[in-house]
Amino acid sequence: MQPFTYLRPASLDEALHAASEPGTSVLAGGTTMVDLMRGGLAWPTRLLDISHLPGLADVQTDGPVLRFGALARMADVAENETLQRAYPALVESLQLAASQQLRNAATLGGNILQRTRCPYFRNGVSDCNKRVPGSGCSAVDGEDREMALFGTSESCLANYPGDWGTALAAFDTAVELRSAAGLRTVKFSEFHLPYGEDPAAETVLRPGEIVTAITVRATPAGRASTYLKVRDRQSYAYALVSAAVALEMEGDMVTSARVSLGGVASKPWRSPEAEAALTGRRLSEAVSLEAGEAAFKGAKPRRQNAFKIELGRRVVARAALTAAKRI
Amino acid sequence: MDGSIGIPVVRRDAAAKASGAAQYAADFPHAGTAYAALVTSKVARGRITAIDTMAAEAVPGVQMVLTHHSLNEGLGKETFAMKGGHMQSSFMPLTSDEVHYAGQIVCLLIADTQEAAEQAAGLVAVEYATEHASAAMDDPGHEEEPMEKKAIDVGDALAAFAAADVSVDATYLTPAQHHNPIELYAATCAWRDGKLLVNTPSQWVKGKQAALAEIFGIPMEDVHIESPYIGGGFGSKATLLAHTVLVAMAARRLGRPVKLVVPREAMFTVGSFRPATRSRVRLGAKKDGTLTAVLHDEVGQSAVIDHVAFPATEVTARMYASPNIRTRQATIATDVNTPGFQRAPAEAPGFFGFESAVDELAIKLGMDPVELRVRNEPERDPVKGLAWSSRSLVPCFRRGAELFGWSKRNPEVGSMTTPDGLLIGMGCATATYPSAMAPSSARVRLSADGTCVVYCGAHDLGTGAYTVLGQVAADVLGVPDELVRVHLGDSTLPSGPVAGGSITTGSSGAAVHMAALAVRDRLLAAAGDGNPAGWSLAGGQVIGPDGHGRPVAEVVGAVTGGVIEETADWKPDALSDDQMRAGLAGGMAFAGPTTEKHASYSFGAQFAEVHVDPLLRTVRVARMVGVFACGRIINPRTARSNLAGGMVWGASFALLEESQVDRPRARFANTDLAGYHISTNADIGEVVVETIHEDDLVVNPIGAKAVGEIGIVGMNAAIANAVYHATGTRVRKTPILVEDLL
Ligand SMILES: Cc1cc2nc3c(=O)[nH]c(=O)nc-3n(C[C@H](O)[C@H](O)[C@H](O)COP(=O)(O)OP(=O)(O)OC[C@H]3O[C@@H](n4cnc5c(N)ncnc54)[C@H](O)[C@@H]3O)c2cc1C
Repeated sequence: MQPFTYLRPASLDEALHAASEPGTSVLAGGTTMVDLMRGGLAWPTRLLDISHLPGLADVQTDGPVLRFGALARMADVAENETLQRAYPALVESLQLAASQQLRNAATLGGNILQRTRCPYFRNGVSDCNKRVPGSGCSAVDGEDREMALFGTSESCLANYPGDWGTALAAFDTAVELRSAAGLRTVKFSEFHLPYGEDPAAETVLRPGEIVTAITVRATPAGRASTYLKVRDRQSYAYALVSAAVALEMEGDMVTSARVSLGGVASKPWRSPEAEAALTGRRLSEAVSLEAGEAAFKGAKPRRQNAFKIELGRRVVARAALTAAKRI
Repeated sequence: MDGSIGIPVVRRDAAAKASGAAQYAADFPHAGTAYAALVTSKVARGRITAIDTMAAEAVPGVQMVLTHHSLNEGLGKETFAMKGGHMQSSFMPLTSDEVHYAGQIVCLLIADTQEAAEQAAGLVAVEYATEHASAAMDDPGHEEEPMEKKAIDVGDALAAFAAADVSVDATYLTPAQHHNPIELYAATCAWRDGKLLVNTPSQWVKGKQAALAEIFGIPMEDVHIESPYIGGGFGSKATLLAHTVLVAMAARRLGRPVKLVVPREAMFTVGSFRPATRSRVRLGAKKDGTLTAVLHDEVGQSAVIDHVAFPATEVTARMYASPNIRTRQATIATDVNTPGFQRAPAEAPGFFGFESAVDELAIKLGMDPVELRVRNEPERDPVKGLAWSSRSLVPCFRRGAELFGWSKRNPEVGSMTTPDGLLIGMGCATATYPSAMAPSSARVRLSADGTCVVYCGAHDLGTGAYTVLGQVAADVLGVPDELVRVHLGDSTLPSGPVAGGSITTGSSGAAVHMAALAVRDRLLAAAGDGNPAGWSLAGGQVIGPDGHGRPVAEVVGAVTGGVIEETADWKPDALSDDQMRAGLAGGMAFAGPTTEKHASYSFGAQFAEVHVDPLLRTVRVARMVGVFACGRIINPRTARSNLAGGMVWGASFALLEESQVDRPRARFANTDLAGYHISTNADIGEVVVETIHEDDLVVNPIGAKAVGEIGIVGMNAAIANAVYHATGTRVRKTPILVEDLL
């Protein structure tokens, strides 16, 4: 850790102004940021605490667009009754993440900006292109059980770990970004970047920008949705494989399907292949397994993580069957 | 309240711990403290070719930077605990440019603030000449080093195995694991007038005192170790860790107290860990299940810098009756920090393989696994023919089976399901743990205000020693629990043994018992004006020959000084007086579990029910039942907590715990609590614990056998056996992961 200046702006305008200074990082719930700083993975010279700013924690769940203020807490949103009824996948993705204590502190905006749990990145020592660009990727010949199957490159195999982000990817989601220069809105599918040459670049967030809200276009598919997470332990662990599935159905016929995958990709991963395998079909265990198979067609397994393809096939299948029961 | 033996007295330290009043090592304030931070090695083997500390030294507030260049002080020689000393390792970092393992301390920084020390640590640039290293036992190129002295041979096991009607031959693996106590390693060292005070969480205050005296060349009484509370130790805080020496040295040089709290990641390398093991188990039996051959070949991970072994074979060889027994022990040296004691160090990994193999044999025989174990119950120790001081394994199995509902188990694989379609698996295993004993002193003081105070340099790791040792005194003196005080965890107290090997209650309890008896004798004598005849103690009263009582406090008040205080030195019979003296001076002096006449072990039967999702193949431990016989239970509440805690750990061992090795770089990979998984509440279903009373006065005068570690032993196998019953997949390694069952 290095010395830094702690800033506590009184308003969003003041915050946006302060954010434009080089070396500034935003502090929301701090559950990721403090870890990164203590671990020598982030070294801001100015820490801009926005956690108390008014108006940024509002949540609207009526109307054609759901709107989640960036400072809404994971625990609070998980208790939103409309959401529990109409978008169980979103609620479950929050309930199954981290621990109650962390969810009490962590914000939705901070959540989509959490960074990979790849041990080679986190340990502060191993060669890692994300931490020290050009140093190499230790996972290439190292422990790769937790590494991604999609969206990786030879310079980075790390996994995007977030549950909420994975569930959001199944919907028409957008992120509102503000800076001193104004507002822009980015589609969630374009917010995170797959790893290319420079795996340190993870999102399109620009210096000086603050996430103010996440929006989701309302859909009846929200009701028949679920988020299924398989992990090594029952609580307080990241996904080995997870899937969000949201369906619209006529009888047992799937008319529209949304499928996203977690624990297996460098970013929240939408699976049009699985969606196509479900759409227009009568849902059965066999069809759901086919969808699971389709979801992992393009997977690039390493030595220890190939099992995630078989596990993932079953996770998608189970999630589809569970979602269908909620029609 | 009655606080005598057998009462479930609530832990004396509970309120202080729950309210935050309890002070742990890092909580003791010292005026003018400077703070330390570590730099550890990135590579696992080689030499430091350059170490640039300029930028670190320039950080405002930095007071001292210690590297192998600057640590030129002559230190007294102290050895590795396994060689008769007290150190966790025989290797002392910063004494040369050599690097022997990843995460080795290569630089210590001291600054006015914690922040400055950490910042400076981040600025130290180290260059290495790296050599090939291996931190995993099964990397190619390793050779086994046999330990001939550990071989056990009874009869001709190889021939009997070859001739057996039914046999099992299988190999089982357990990984490296780390203790990961919640309380981090910490040391605050302060010198005053040439005397050293150390606040450090310790399972062995006397040993650390002796070691630091030796290292700094000062008398033992000039070293004071304070460790009233320990936030989990599990064996990791028994021996002296090198960083404590470095901090003490820095404090002496600086002339200021210095404090170091080791960060979580460094916890994986600056202390010890449970080494990986490989067990080949061969069992041969007649068709009726009578064992004819028991063979166990165990290989344990050791370190290049220290040869260490934790042989389970000494215990497995004695588990079941068999005319032919053969065990072999070997080690494989790897480039790691020295492995060490971790709760049931030998037994927990060794019994995973051994008790899994017994289950495999039961299946081959088509026999109930409980009945197979009962059939092979030995009358006497099968290796030397010694009498058991007590052994109630069969009653444990019978009661456990009843509590668990074992009779409802359909032995057919995959035949049982829950109402919501999960596969049910039920398994069992035997648990055992040696009941060794060590010398201990204790002082008991009865005062005119009615209080009874116990002083003993033993340790409470959250296990209940504060409570239990007070009960032993209260039992003799009839003092109500409210008036009992207990002081532990301080090197100025009468010497207690290392908190290891589950010996504290038996050993220090025996010393407290002895001191309390001496106090009682003086009390009765005082009441009878020098003649105790006819006087007795009951209900807080001293009763005279005429049946008239006087309150204890009144009798004590009449004694000159108003207190009756006695100190006792207790030793197990098998040790000589010299061995006792060495032990009380901070040496390692154990007697048992086998002596010339007896073999003393605690025993238990463990049962597990797992639920397996038929599609996803995830495993959940729905239920665990453990019935144990550990002699006399001093406090059923604390005993239950230890046993249940051990079983929870066993579940964690079976399904979660592994220190993964990044093989190309020979480092532990998952060095934080997000990556190193231990059970959460959500992972553990119902836990049922019972104990069976035994009168065992061979083991010690209070009849207490080992409780602290047995709970973990066998639980891993019981779960693996249950997983097999649910799925038909025999997983011969831990942790059992979802990919093993897909
Ligand atoms: C032990 C542990 C276990 C966890 N387990 C899980 C899990 O199982 N599943 C899961 O999904 N997550 C898990 N998490 C991650 C957790 O959900 C995130 O840390 C949390 O959501 C981040 O939110 P925060 O408000 O604390 O963000 P902060 O820590 O304050 O910030 C995180 C990052 O986002 C930036 N930031 C925050 N808010 C804004 C904003 N409004 N605009 C611009 N930048 C911003 C910060 O600068 C920082 O880079 C776990 C975390 C921990 C520590």
